[in-house]
Amino acid sequence: MEILRIENVKKYFTSQKAVDDISLSVHQGSIFGLLGPNGAGKTTLIRMITGIFFPDEGRIFFDGRKFNVREDVKKIGYMPEERGLYKKMKIGEQALYLARLKGLSRSEALNKTKKWFEKFEMQSWWNKKVEDLSKGMSQKLQFVTTVLHEPKLIILDEPFSGLDPVNTNLIKDEIFRLAHEGATVIFSTHRMEQVEEICDHIILVNKGKKILDGNVQEIKKQFKENLFSVGVDRPFSDASDYLPFRIMGQKNGKQVIQILDGKTPNDVLQYLIQRGFEIHSFQELLPSLNDIFIKLVEGTSPSRAFEQLN
Amino acid sequence: MQKILLIIQREYLSRVRKKTFIIGTLLFPVLYLLLVFGAGFIAERSKTHLTVAIADETGLLNDSLIKRYNLLDPSSTFKLVRVAGPDTFNYSREGYDAFIHIAKLDWERVTENPLTMKTRKSYGINTQELIEAKLNSIWDEIKNIKHGIDPGLISILAGNKIQLKTLNETDRQQDSRIANAIGLIAGLLMYLVILVYGSMVMMGIMEEKTNRIAEVIVSSVKPFEMMLGKILGIGLVALTQFILWIVFIFLIYNLSSVFGKSADSSVTQIVGSVQEVFSGINIPLILFCFLFYFIGGFFFYASIYGAIGSAINEDIREAQTLSFPVTMLVVLSILVMTAAVNDPSSPLAVWASIIPFSSPIVMMARIPYGVPGTVPWWQLIASMVALVACFVITTWIAAKIYRTGILMYGKKVTWKEMLRWAFRND
Repeated sequence: MEILRIENVKKYFTSQKAVDDISLSVHQGSIFGLLGPNGAGKTTLIRMITGIFFPDEGRIFFDGRKFNVREDVKKIGYMPEERGLYKKMKIGEQALYLARLKGLSRSEALNKTKKWFEKFEMQSWWNKKVEDLSKGMSQKLQFVTTVLHEPKLIILDEPFSGLDPVNTNLIKDEIFRLAHEGATVIFSTHRMEQVEEICDHIILVNKGKKILDGNVQEIKKQFKENLFSVGVDRPFSDASDYLPFRIMGQKNGKQVIQILDGKTPNDVLQYLIQRGFEIHSFQELLPSLNDIFIKLVEGTSPSRAFEQLN
Repeated sequence: MQKILLIIQREYLSRVRKKTFIIGTLLFPVLYLLLVFGAGFIAERSKTHLTVAIADETGLLNDSLIKRYNLLDPSSTFKLVRVAGPDTFNYSREGYDAFIHIAKLDWERVTENPLTMKTRKSYGINTQELIEAKLNSIWDEIKNIKHGIDPGLISILAGNKIQLKTLNETDRQQDSRIANAIGLIAGLLMYLVILVYGSMVMMGIMEEKTNRIAEVIVSSVKPFEMMLGKILGIGLVALTQFILWIVFIFLIYNLSSVFGKSADSSVTQIVGSVQEVFSGINIPLILFCFLFYFIGGFFFYASIYGAIGSAINEDIREAQTLSFPVTMLVVLSILVMTAAVNDPSSPLAVWASIIPFSSPIVMMARIPYGVPGTVPWWQLIASMVALVACFVITTWIAAKIYRTGILMYGKKVTWKEMLRWAFRND
């Protein structure tokens, strides 16, 4: 079942087409990666999903119905890229306040805040102020305030920036758990290794347009270049005759080869066995999302030039 | 609605609980009292008692005359001395603080040149004036005797003067001086509230923006609710402060009237005059108008300050540049107010009390003079309607600026740009 469907959404600002006709669909319980270079329109898209902006054109459906900002924002938790908390406010009160703004009653908010503070070992922070916290600590707090009201849709913009590995894992596990319990997570980031690890489905946005949409494994297959890493007992240079593959180089003591068009891995293996090579390993090398990302957005100026709109 | 209440609650409590609020609220009346009483006290203390040696060569002064005036005016002690050379007379060694030499002249020519009082130290102008006044009293008596006027007759003539006071029949106002004082205080308080709490709204919004909490909040509530909650919350803080001050005044007034009976006569005098003040003016009307103009004026200016706060980035100088014209309007109002309080029916005062940007301050200076005598009903109603209409408009405009500004980073904003946001169709 899909929790969020966006149809042909557009948002133009005076100086640029921030979001230019994007459609997407997010399934409940999935972890959805929203990728794109700086200035691609990710934040604008997220702001439309969180009801901060209204789209100029297009429609948004939330939980099967037309997006109703007043009601549906209670079911959304949003953690912006630039973290924001009241510096001078006590941490416990702050968590309560933000939860109550999402429509929780006082006692509900109090129960849930306590539960989460316990889980993240933050009980001793209750009467401290945000200005007393380190960057990583306030990040944890920000995450707690985002998910405290048990939103159906959690939008996290760069949730791991500034976190140490221990806390990164803590939050990562929490994201998996929340998704497992039925919450949907939209995860916006530049860190591709995290996307590969966490996301089921991704879209890639560039210059306000969607340029890639699909399951992570499928996308990788789609962009594969028939590269394999082969572990053999002696270098290929010994074999001088006709090859069913091209030698690309070496990596970690293994040969990297590209199988030629019309040939299969079996052809390669047969060839190697016939030539008396002893094969220790044979593995397909799928492109990393990072490679795909760079390949697709290469040539885009780092910060989008301001286009003149009519 | 519930969310606005929540925001108001946070804005209110986070400020009222602050130490600075509590200290400020307590300190202001204390400082005010210190200022009022302290100034009087210091002025009293700064008059130094001098022992003045007078060498009189005209023979007009004599010991019994001097002694009588020393008793009459004990602020200084005069003493007649005989000296060989007035220029070489060492008065400080003889135990005097000052020395005045009156040269040998015909009595009518004594006043041709100023007399010189020689001193070793500098004394305040107050001291000099007191000694001058004492000398003149003595001189008056000498003149009267020389002209053959009976001193008894003089005192009769001096006491017999016409006194004038105005009775405004429509308002049954007792004393325009009291209205003047109340008008001045009310206008100044209004000025204080608008500047202090208006810029508090601006700084609060700016803080939310630079803290990036704004984006978190607007994903839960509408920007308009967020702005309104802030303005209302801070407005309530200002109101709380006022109510506390009124309570303080009431307490001080009651305490002083209890202690006043046994204590200082000056305190009883003040209590008496306060009682007189309150019986002479229409307190419910003044309080109602104060509340009305407080709310109207605060909304009018706070929404403008709020819009500015949403448009600026971390740079405090940017805030000053953008808020300067607004602050100038407030300062201009206070200038008009000081004129209006002395001439509450002048055209300047009338118009400034109707035009919304100055009406909260200027009208409050006029109202104590009386409604409908000094301020006709039509003026009061026109002023109130204009103010309400204007604060609705400024709040609406501010909300539109706020909505764009609060999520706009890194761009230096001008008034022109802000107005474009306000009148953009979307």
